[in-house]
Amino acid sequence: MARFHQLAVTDVRKTIRDAVVVTLKPENGADFDFVQGQYLTFRRDFDGTEVRRSYSICAGLDDGVLQVGIKKVEGGAFSTWANEDLAPGMVLEAMEPMGSFHTPLEPEKAKSYLGFAGGSGVTPVLSILKTVLAREPNSHFTLVYANRGVNTIMFREELEDLKNLYMGRLTVIHILESDAQDIDLFTGRVDAEKCAALFTHWIDIDSVDTAFICGPEPMMLGIAAALKDHGLSEDQIKFELFASAQPGRLKRKEGAATGAKAAKATEATITMDGAARTFAMDKDQTILDAALENALDAPYACKAGVCSTCKCKVLEGEVEMVANHALEDYEVARGYVLSCQSFPVTDRVVVDYDQ
Amino acid sequence: MSDTMDIADYLARGGRLTNPANVPTRYRAELMRMMASFVDSELAGAAGFADVINAGPGIKERIAAAKIVLEKTDNADKVLRLMGEFGANTARYANHHPWTDRLPRDTAPGRTRSAHDMRLSVLNYPLDGWVDAVVMNFCTGHAVAVQLADMVQVSYQPLAEALRDVAPVEAHHTELAEEGLARLMTQGESDAIAASLAYWQPRVAAIFGDPPAERLAQMKAWGLRHRTAEEMRTDWEARLAAGMERCGVPR
Repeated sequence: MARFHQLAVTDVRKTIRDAVVVTLKPENGADFDFVQGQYLTFRRDFDGTEVRRSYSICAGLDDGVLQVGIKKVEGGAFSTWANEDLAPGMVLEAMEPMGSFHTPLEPEKAKSYLGFAGGSGVTPVLSILKTVLAREPNSHFTLVYANRGVNTIMFREELEDLKNLYMGRLTVIHILESDAQDIDLFTGRVDAEKCAALFTHWIDIDSVDTAFICGPEPMMLGIAAALKDHGLSEDQIKFELFASAQPGRLKRKEGAATGAKAAKATEATITMDGAARTFAMDKDQTILDAALENALDAPYACKAGVCSTCKCKVLEGEVEMVANHALEDYEVARGYVLSCQSFPVTDRVVVDYDQ
Repeated sequence: MSDTMDIADYLARGGRLTNPANVPTRYRAELMRMMASFVDSELAGAAGFADVINAGPGIKERIAAAKIVLEKTDNADKVLRLMGEFGANTARYANHHPWTDRLPRDTAPGRTRSAHDMRLSVLNYPLDGWVDAVVMNFCTGHAVAVQLADMVQVSYQPLAEALRDVAPVEAHHTELAEEGLARLMTQGESDAIAASLAYWQPRVAAIFGDPPAERLAQMKAWGLRHRTAEEMRTDWEARLAAGMERCGVPR
């Protein structure tokens, strides 16, 4: 089960103006062995609001360090903080590495990999290419790397060094949106059309064993469509959707409980799919059962406080959660409950399944 | 490339979500429900078959039954691990329910799930000896193949990948069922097979159900479902007929 561990920050290095590479060292012997292409999920409290963000590991398996790349996102609390205030000696909290953006390493084989990265989407792809070039001495890697301009290319020098280290086995094609290059093909956006042109002149798509794509949504769709048009099957295409898509996080918890009365009935207001419904319910009934009884399509699975499918947030009033094997303490502190285990205590409760 | 698009548009156009952090709340709820239903079904299926090992009439049959128990439990683990990434307590989950619980044998076919877990309804009915277990495995196996074919296209990539590993293992369980069925036919068990088929077919047919139209449309738009229950049931019936012919079972 996913748990947060403490990691000491040992180094913070700028790669480009608005991105840092953070080196971490697990404390208390937590297991942070990772597979190339995996990510870490961090959490931090910003003025009483819990923010969780996932960032990909950019180190290869043989680099001997744990490193993530964090690019500053406009309005992003965590990435701004990491870029401006994070310093060696500080401690971050993260869950153990997760994710399946990788394929098994097969040192005896000669494989051809094709990677697509948009902006900071390069971080997991860098981890993968460093690892496969080191562990699979006969494999080749071609990286198509999309950026706005030359000065926004993360790990540009590191990629140059790797090209020299693995002479002939690593090819990097930079596609720049706004800076003109010698070849027209290398200017603009990476979409289905651009891919088709690359496959005609620059990339032998028929020899590709596996393609990795990490970038923003429209880019992923365009590239995936082009790869499928050129004969790659679903299981040859690996995706990682990067951080921009992470949905908004928790809002502030509203007013706490009022004094409970011994009345039998509670007036419950339940919000789901953006619509609120109000009805009377017994205090000896769970929030989930009351919702289901009132024809609300509330999500649930185990009904045993284990799976967390029925998680909802208490906005007003108070409930008693009799069992909890899924939510973490800080989630409970923020007002989240498992509705299958929660009975109303106050005469009025307001819960929201949409948050 | 800082441009983004609405996550619903992205999904409607075939986009993939790749980790718990980029999964919206309602999508998460539907996805958790799908995963819980899969895990519960595998655990309940394995638990049911565990009792059957001892009913196996020979060493080969016992090995087949034991293999099915092991591999279905392993399949449950593959998906339960993904639920763990969303915060589910995987250690407790595996033991929170008596997976061997069944309804009385004569309970009418229906789609009602057990109140306490999300297993497919067919797994609420008890097995009645070796022949019955083989027939149940045969009927359910083909239904699982049809459902998995829909589920492997799921827009949550880690689940799609886990199920891609699961599908051939489940397909092999169905092959074992067909081997067993063909052998039982040569051993003169055709009456018992016919009786079990009559018992299990309507109960397996009942697992093909659609949620209310609005929710089904939403699930399709999110890439969590692809075909209707009707389409899948028709597919299953054809597979079952072909399987019976292979095994020499009269229709």
